[in-house]
Amino acid sequence: MSQRIGLSWLQLRHEKMKLFAAVSGVMVSVVLMWMQLGLMKALFASAVVLHGSLAGEVVVIHSQYEHLLHSKVFSSRLLYRLKGSPDVVSVSGIYLAPIEWKNPWNGEMRSMQCYGIETESPGLSIPGLADQLASLRQRDVFLYDRLARPRFGNVVGELERGADIKPELNRRRMKLAGLVDLGASFGIDGNLLVSHANFLRLFSERDPGHIDLGVVRLKPGVSVEAAQRQFQQQLGEQVLVLTRDQFADIELKYWKSATPIGVIFSAGTFVGFFIGFIVVYQILYTDVTNHLPQYATMKAMGFSNAYLRGLILAQSLQLGLLGFVPGTLIAAMLYAALRNVTQLPLTLDPARGIFLAAVTVVMCALSGLFAIRRLSSADPAEVF
Amino acid sequence: MNTTNGARGTAGDSRAESAGSSMPAVSSVIQCSGVNFFFGQGELRKQILFEVEFAIEPGEIVLLTGPSGSGKTTLLTLIAGLRSMQEGQMHVLGYRLHNPGPRDLLEVRRRIGFIFQAHNLLPYLTALQNVQVMFELQPNVSAEEGRQRAARMLEQVGLGDRLHYQVARLSGGQRQRVAIARALVGGPQLVLADEPTAALDGASGREVVNLLQALAREQGRPILMVTHDTRVLDIADRILELQDGRLASHSTGALSKPAAV
Repeated sequence: MSQRIGLSWLQLRHEKMKLFAAVSGVMVSVVLMWMQLGLMKALFASAVVLHGSLAGEVVVIHSQYEHLLHSKVFSSRLLYRLKGSPDVVSVSGIYLAPIEWKNPWNGEMRSMQCYGIETESPGLSIPGLADQLASLRQRDVFLYDRLARPRFGNVVGELERGADIKPELNRRRMKLAGLVDLGASFGIDGNLLVSHANFLRLFSERDPGHIDLGVVRLKPGVSVEAAQRQFQQQLGEQVLVLTRDQFADIELKYWKSATPIGVIFSAGTFVGFFIGFIVVYQILYTDVTNHLPQYATMKAMGFSNAYLRGLILAQSLQLGLLGFVPGTLIAAMLYAALRNVTQLPLTLDPARGIFLAAVTVVMCALSGLFAIRRLSSADPAEVF
Repeated sequence: MNTTNGARGTAGDSRAESAGSSMPAVSSVIQCSGVNFFFGQGELRKQILFEVEFAIEPGEIVLLTGPSGSGKTTLLTLIAGLRSMQEGQMHVLGYRLHNPGPRDLLEVRRRIGFIFQAHNLLPYLTALQNVQVMFELQPNVSAEEGRQRAARMLEQVGLGDRLHYQVARLSGGQRQRVAIARALVGGPQLVLADEPTAALDGASGREVVNLLQALAREQGRPILMVTHDTRVLDIADRILELQDGRLASHSTGALSKPAAV
């Protein structure tokens, strides 16, 4: 469609208020879609932050493990058998359990997720953790999750002020030794890291010989799948030997089936799409209706239906573009604000940006195509 | 729009056919015979045109007059390819408009310059853009050339200093002059004007008609103008008069000059 004088745009901008309304409609729709998809992605991503931080290619869990809040312990001797394999660099066992945090400022009790790690071989690669392993070896200390929800008190702020923070954990006085970044998720409002020794002090009923997660680091160049198969055979059916991605999938699958999050946010995204579609359609439709005499004139002068359809379609796409850019900027601001409040890993993912741009184009094109049907009412015989 | 070539093919076919059927129509700009036209269905069916027959030759300026309801506008829409023919034969610019090919009507319209009763300019464009818009139909004319030709055309109708005025800022007479520029800029083979002076006062109307006549004469373009403005009859080579859907007998005669002259 050649529109050498930009007819579609000249017509669109002629009525500023209408243009503003249409662009706002697209904008609202784009913001909604960004928010819905972003929150869904972030919620799921938050559930597997720990999985992504495991310092190993292979993970060992009990065969009846369900998810991080519903783990099952297995004998650490099984895991340490793998130390003998020529493919293995190191193995590390991780304890995990929910722990009672008593807010040192108001005495409120809250549950956090506590990980007991080996300070020689922590099995986790979290930025800044390596430097703090030495202090973690002290008696009755812990590392606190900087991204924990604010309900545990202003821990980070107080620490930065230089305060000594000694809350009660499982009724045991512990000292905060530093911060790590992990993040909140479904059912987990914040995380704590302690050494194996301190974990066993906090959970005196736990059997030291049984761990929740086993992390295996392979030598470079070793096939993960082959090692996984071999270890599974070696360890028997009491445990599951998984790649890191498979381990994360268990978590995602659980939360996807246990919560209606996927459905809710997909529906929300569709609502956003629908709002945009309706607004653009309404505006283009009334616009075509108001301009019927003009379109009839153009038809009489020899403009083909294809040209006029192209004109309307071009307008719908221009509206889409005009709405998408500011909509994305607003979404970016909302993401930043929500990140601060929810500690969810909300990011403007470029791939999702391309996807949403395509969705916006489809949305506008659909509205345009529906509005185009109105064109057939422009009868060139009525121009005289 | 890349359809022009294909469309020319279709048009060519239909033209060749008319030529082959030994019709004298091909040389005339408009050739119509035995045209009947009805509105409505069944008992409500009402005949609007009766056995209309006339021809317009290249370079002629012909006025079509008659009282309201005499069928002038209907005849004009048939000639312009805006309405489907029912009975009779009609050739315009060599295209057969009875049983036309799929794109014949569009092709005919593209070769006609239209001037409407109420200018029908696009309100969101400037005077220049309104004229330029015609080159959207001629992909072989570059944007720059289109702009220059449109500007020159507007100078010819005396609006050289109003190129970038929005339609709303032009007077009625100026708007109609833009409409004339728009109708003529693409080099039409026929100009159809429907009461171009109806919305104008006497002086502006006269001015517009004079301008149209001068430009058409200069470029040798035939004009068919529907009007019942008796003040402008003198520009015509010939006057056709419709009464109750029939061409009055004297209108087929040669030159009829208004009584006042």
